[in-house]
Amino acid sequence: MTNKAFRALFWSAVVCALFFRIVRLDVRPMHHDEANQAVKFAALLERGEYRYDPKDHHGPTLYYLTLPVARLLGERSLAAVDETTLRLVPALFGTGTLILLLFFAGSLARETIVSAAFLAAVSPLLTYYSRFYIQETILAFFLVGFVAAGWRYLRTRSPAWAAAAGFAAGMMFATKETSVILFGALATAAVLDLVAGPRPTSPGARKGQAVLFDIALFLASAFVTSWLFFTSFLTNPGGLADSVRAFGGYLARVGAPGVHAEHWPYYLRMLAFSRFRHGPVWSEAFVLALAAAGSVFVFVPGPGHEGRSRLVRFIFFFTVLAAAAYSLIPYKTPWNAVPFYAGAVILAGHGAAGLLNAAKSSLAKAAVLTLFAAGLLGLTYQDVRANFIDFANPTNPYVYAQTSPDFMKLVRTVQGVAGVSPDRADTLIMVVAPPDETWPLPWSLREFTRVGFWTDMRRAPKLDVAPIVIVSGSFAEEAGRILGKGYEEAFYGLRPEVVLALFVRPDLWDAYVRSSRSSS
Amino acid sequence: MKRTLILASVAVLGLALILPSPGSARQEKGKEVLKIELPKPMFIGTPRNIRTPNLEPITGRPRGPFLVPVGTVLLSRGKPVTASDMEPVIGDLSFVTDGQKSGEDGYYVELGPGLQWVQIDLGQPDTLYAIVVWHYHSQARVYRDVIVQVSDDKDFVQGVTTLFNNDSDNTSGLGVGRDKEYIETYEGKLIDARGVRARYVRLYSRGNTSNDMNHYVEVEVYGIPGK
Repeated sequence: MTNKAFRALFWSAVVCALFFRIVRLDVRPMHHDEANQAVKFAALLERGEYRYDPKDHHGPTLYYLTLPVARLLGERSLAAVDETTLRLVPALFGTGTLILLLFFAGSLARETIVSAAFLAAVSPLLTYYSRFYIQETILAFFLVGFVAAGWRYLRTRSPAWAAAAGFAAGMMFATKETSVILFGALATAAVLDLVAGPRPTSPGARKGQAVLFDIALFLASAFVTSWLFFTSFLTNPGGLADSVRAFGGYLARVGAPGVHAEHWPYYLRMLAFSRFRHGPVWSEAFVLALAAAGSVFVFVPGPGHEGRSRLVRFIFFFTVLAAAAYSLIPYKTPWNAVPFYAGAVILAGHGAAGLLNAAKSSLAKAAVLTLFAAGLLGLTYQDVRANFIDFANPTNPYVYAQTSPDFMKLVRTVQGVAGVSPDRADTLIMVVAPPDETWPLPWSLREFTRVGFWTDMRRAPKLDVAPIVIVSGSFAEEAGRILGKGYEEAFYGLRPEVVLALFVRPDLWDAYVRSSRSSS
Repeated sequence: MKRTLILASVAVLGLALILPSPGSARQEKGKEVLKIELPKPMFIGTPRNIRTPNLEPITGRPRGPFLVPVGTVLLSRGKPVTASDMEPVIGDLSFVTDGQKSGEDGYYVELGPGLQWVQIDLGQPDTLYAIVVWHYHSQARVYRDVIVQVSDDKDFVQGVTTLFNNDSDNTSGLGVGRDKEYIETYEGKLIDARGVRARYVRLYSRGNTSNDMNHYVEVEVYGIPGK
């Protein structure tokens, strides 16, 4: 592949990835977890407040990395922020992960990098969670950055790359404390790689004290990065210690995964073949098959692959180990597959390049390219469906406890009713629902100044003081009794199996219905 | 442990803040702004991802007895069914009156999105006392604009009696309904037919809280034949 062709193809893949990641970022209703993070981010945005919570919600980088985006867009409060602003952060990091592949130039074949870039660009899993305001895509970005910087260091022995690798490692930990699983897989992969072959050499190899200095620089860089983020830039001195204490909670989850318990083949099944009820078939088996081919080429290098398999061998060990570790942990959510799947995609790129090189005749090469194009087309079709059509459909394997689009009807009705109320944004809204049936209401009702949240009926004050009352479906009967027959009652889906009931005072409801009719 | 944490957090949050609304609440003589403690929402981890059927009812107790005149029988079993969507997405229209009420796959018929209806032809005008409808009870969901009408006119142009209508904002265009929405359960929804005499029973719906589709597991019409 010529340099010109490489550049054209690689940047086409990046543009493609960017397109799928940033278009219509507001199409999917905010997930419970996204809304949690959004409200936490708002405290940082509005008051500069962030305090690391060792019990949940992972590390601070997501919030701090959102700050420049929100400020750049001129948004200064929760009410001003929207879904697009928040999701732009993982979307940009998801695209950036592809660009990081350039750091492997020289160590990976151009065909490998281009193939991996295209596969990553249209992977439904990677795209879906690049449009999701959670930590995983940022974690994958710094993981790839860490491997790239580490590899560059081994090639050049430059202290700058040691410091860069330390920064990436620090960011990984500050993004998700559970990145220790990935660090474990990386370390074991490095050992296996050493056992499997000779130590890599570099032209300007540093020795003795210089290497010790580089190691110290790496560790200091990683420590300072984590320390700054976990201590909220030195305003919460206990933050870093809390990040270590957090392991108690996460270890407990491993032992008692509760409602997120799944058997070991969960991720493999999700990626290889998924079909729920009458829904369509979802499969990224094409990537897995190419990754399997890439794994074969690691140990049986094809023509033109000699000397280039070293890095891929390391990525192979890492991917297998990380996938195994995440699969063996009973606590599973689909987004946890993102970091190790990034490794699988690079392996798949290596597989595609290997097949292309193994094809001797022009006809065979054309057949491989056609097959690759067809596979990409299949992934692209699923990518569009997963992110723009079935983004909340439970048959989509990446949809997990997703807020139903029906919930947005509730939000629009509340907005419409408040719009005809004399108090407008100051209309009193009472929400009575268990915490897991409350979100994303605090996000969706962020424009309202008087919203109260109670977790059960016994704790809530008299409901009929509020013109708008939202309760869990399980409280609907009791709320209906309290509010009497006058209040208009309507049900809305929050998630599959979870229904919310909306009660609206009759005068406001009538005004709302009149206003809706006149506007339509 | 989790529960204790939740309770403790609620207690703390309960004391948290009073959110006044300066300048917004209208002041009237002899009245003051009602101050209510508005607790903040509690942060909590990822909720359960539910993809499996659940036959448990969400609210309420078992339905009490419903009294009908002696001699009332099930009239609809095996009777022909027509619909606004004669090519269902899933299942067959005959499922509506086949007597199978299981919530599992293979027992319901799915009609397309938007306002749809199914219609049962009882074969002759009967005196009706109860209609029970099961839309889809393997999941807690609510069907929108449930409207049940009866008539002797198969086109429902003349002599139409509406027995149930919960379309409170008349989005379906069949008139404003005053009946309540309800969560689907295995018991089905019992509608009092009040002894109306009719040959055809038509049931409308317009999507549900989980998706835009319309489903029927079973419809049962009870009454006294030909009377």
